[in-house]
Amino acid sequence: MASTLHSALQNLRDRKVWKSIFRRGPANTNRTRSLAVFGNLFLHWLPVKVREKSLRVRASYYLGSVSFILFIVLFVTGILLMFYYHPAAPHAYRDMKDLQFVVSNGVFLRNLHRLAAHLMVFAVFWHMFHVFYRGGYKPPHEFNWVVGVVLLLVTLLLSYTGYLLPWDQLAFWAVTVGTNIISAMPFVGDKIRFLLLGGNIVGENALLRFYVLHVVILPLVAFLLIGIHFWRVQKDGGLTVKPKDDDGKE
Amino acid sequence: MGKLTNRTRLVLAVSSVMFLAVLAISPFKDFRREWKQYKHSYLRFAQTRPDTKKLVADYRPDIDQIWLPGMNVVDRCTTCHYGITQASLADQSVPQPFRAHPPIPHNVRDWGCTICHRGQGPATEVAEAHKSTLAWEQPILPTRFIQASCGTCHYADLPQTPQLTRGRALLAGLNCQGCHRLPGVERPAMLAPDLTNVGTKVSREWIYKWLKEPRTIVDKDGNVTVNGYEAEDEPRMPKFRLTETELRGLSAYLSVQKAKAFVSYKLDARVVAAWTKNPELASQGELRFRQMFCSTCHSLAVTRAGETKLIGGDIGPELTKVGSKVNPDWLITWLRDPQGYLPHTRMPRYGWSDEDLFKVTRYIATKLTDPDLLTGVPQLGQPREDEIQLGRRLFLEKGCASCHVIEGLNPQKDFGPDLSAIGGKNTSELEFGASKIPHNLVSYIQAKLQDPASVNPAARMPQYNWNQPDLDAITTALLSMKGAPPTSALQNLVVPRKEVDFHPTGAFEEVYERYKCYSCHKFNGYGGDLAPDLTYEGSRAQRQWIVDFLKNPQTLRPTVVLRMPQFNMSGRDAATLADYMTMVLQHPAANPTAVDAKQFTLAMVALGKQLYEVKYQCQSCHTIGGTGGYVGPNLSNAGDWLTPAWIEAWLRNPQALVPDTIEPRRNFTADEVRALTAYLTTLRQSIKPQKTASTTAKHAATQGAGR
Repeated sequence: MASTLHSALQNLRDRKVWKSIFRRGPANTNRTRSLAVFGNLFLHWLPVKVREKSLRVRASYYLGSVSFILFIVLFVTGILLMFYYHPAAPHAYRDMKDLQFVVSNGVFLRNLHRLAAHLMVFAVFWHMFHVFYRGGYKPPHEFNWVVGVVLLLVTLLLSYTGYLLPWDQLAFWAVTVGTNIISAMPFVGDKIRFLLLGGNIVGENALLRFYVLHVVILPLVAFLLIGIHFWRVQKDGGLTVKPKDDDGKE
Repeated sequence: MGKLTNRTRLVLAVSSVMFLAVLAISPFKDFRREWKQYKHSYLRFAQTRPDTKKLVADYRPDIDQIWLPGMNVVDRCTTCHYGITQASLADQSVPQPFRAHPPIPHNVRDWGCTICHRGQGPATEVAEAHKSTLAWEQPILPTRFIQASCGTCHYADLPQTPQLTRGRALLAGLNCQGCHRLPGVERPAMLAPDLTNVGTKVSREWIYKWLKEPRTIVDKDGNVTVNGYEAEDEPRMPKFRLTETELRGLSAYLSVQKAKAFVSYKLDARVVAAWTKNPELASQGELRFRQMFCSTCHSLAVTRAGETKLIGGDIGPELTKVGSKVNPDWLITWLRDPQGYLPHTRMPRYGWSDEDLFKVTRYIATKLTDPDLLTGVPQLGQPREDEIQLGRRLFLEKGCASCHVIEGLNPQKDFGPDLSAIGGKNTSELEFGASKIPHNLVSYIQAKLQDPASVNPAARMPQYNWNQPDLDAITTALLSMKGAPPTSALQNLVVPRKEVDFHPTGAFEEVYERYKCYSCHKFNGYGGDLAPDLTYEGSRAQRQWIVDFLKNPQTLRPTVVLRMPQFNMSGRDAATLADYMTMVLQHPAANPTAVDAKQFTLAMVALGKQLYEVKYQCQSCHTIGGTGGYVGPNLSNAGDWLTPAWIEAWLRNPQALVPDTIEPRRNFTADEVRALTAYLTTLRQSIKPQKTASTTAKHAATQGAGR
């Protein structure tokens, strides 16, 4: 059984198509293994080698990965929700009602997006605390710490801009209060509020701007920063591993 | 990396299965949605009906919705209420939600459901669609208030919505406009009595009692206190929650309102001397009171067989105990010249003789009284300056000035909240205070109307005394006020109110105002509906007949109880009114040149008589000379009363002249019309003026008292 599988795999690897996609041969030495990782767009973010102790649950609680997986869930459900949503005052709330009453599994879809968003904020915060308490902000990780803090802000902004989109009373007043807080900034506060709302009230323009921020600008920024964040993890020498992790105890 | 232990494999296996199971919940719930259950049971129900084939052919298994983009309506109610347009399911025995809609002028498919019934149209779950006030602020409107929805677009009154019409009449009649903004509700010319001179009319003690208990009528022992009974008519003066100090202040302030010098009228001393000793003074006064048909507008309480009832009209105040209320000198002055005291009063100015005036006022002052009226009122004495000042302040603060006028005192603008959109208010916009009532708009409106302090202890609104039908009617009228319709499409559908347009001028206006004709009669849609509409009286009646009638009114319709009062009108006044009517109050359909009475021949008259009596049997409704029915007017004097042009036009098409008349349209031929007109113009009854009138009056008076 095992040998048939092995020979079938071998057979596949000898094909022209396979060779056109995976340029290198079998990863059976350290060199070819490294080349395999370097030569792959998706894998090259990852370190060629990791210390086993940095893979332990306690080393990271996988909080970064959990945040990323939640981000992917949000990305997928968000795209599905975009099929049903119009960012316009007469439709926005009715679309919520359609999701609730007519769309198949609409409630599930919407709740998945909403709960994942809550969880992601929670996971990102936990991730930050965890990194902080382990001293993950110290050299050589200081730049990545800053990227992480910006990612935290992007997460919060994504959450906040998404809050307006159901266009109900909760959303309306949350955004009214939030943007009034912004306008309390000295000198530029009112300008920024105007820019954000596309006017002086929480109206149709505000809904459109928050929508564009929520589905285009902020996700792009998040993807870019997540890429940099991952890349820098390995460039900065992997996770911060404490000496006492060596004996497996803390 | 070590090998996976068996324990880890187990954990992974179990958690994977659990994960799959969790994922399956949503599709499963989706499969068993509530509306699908209703669809299935509709299909099962259809199998039990005789017209199964048609019902099944019309059946679609998916969500059914009425989408009206112009009106912003997406109603999915018909998903479950699937038989709504199936005529065969109209029977009461058909279970809900499958019963068909009762017939209404609007097509359900064109209008949707929520425009009238409210509730959450997009919902496909029963609780969400009917009751939710969490994510959709308007739950289903209870059916007993459904007429409110008609009133949202139909600003004009509809014959099919008596409750709404009653509610609107209450809003107008109770002067809700005095404090609240209520678009479309007419503000009556006279809101409440003008109090500029009230100090000359009543005592401070009476004011105190009236303010404290405006209607203590509901007494179990049948005792009538200050004014009136719990009657069908609306209790106008509400009860304000006043403290002793406030009562003293307001009564002090009002009792010093004597702006106009009060000139008491001196009755002829000989008349007074002649009648004072007469033991029949009061009973003669009562007889005159009845002969003048005061009861057409005013009612009196009569106790018969242990049951107290109000008898008489409700245009003027109820008078059972008025003798204990008003100052006798004021009463004489008032009766002689009501407009001298209250310029806008609807009370007509009668031409009194001193004798009648003395008899009637003595009757009122001695018989229409109640010695116990002011029991329990403390001796208030002379008003003190500080009490008067307090009263003046309270008069404005309590909102008295919003209904009552005192010269030189300006009411606050928009004293109470704007109610122009109350019917569409969301629950979150309402203040329920500490009350335990259900949190929805209907309960709020009813609680506020019944006891304003229950939802807001600091409410300035006074307490009204409603019976349940009136409470529901006024709730309906308030619910209909949803402000301007939200979309332009709905705006175009609004049926506006009729504009009032009758502004007579000149000599006619002076007489018309003096006798207050519009209190009972309608002119061009303006006026009361107690008596016939006179908009086209000039086409209907002959001038000489109008003059004779005004000088000595007799009833034309024997079954009608309330009669035109005896105004003792002068010949000149009657002529002025008659001239104006014949000139102006004309109907275009009754063309005076169309009929020439001179061409009528005896043969035509004979034919007409034969048609009247044999072919069309008009006598089953109309009386001529003592025989015939009482449904229509007495025609004994038609030749002197009606113009030939009117008779001719009426016979051709009565509804063209009076749209809601019960006279059937008979499609007479042109010859028949001419013959009947000829016959009717020959009908004459010589009137013996005074004599007939007084016997009729006496007869009617006894009849009136016996009602």
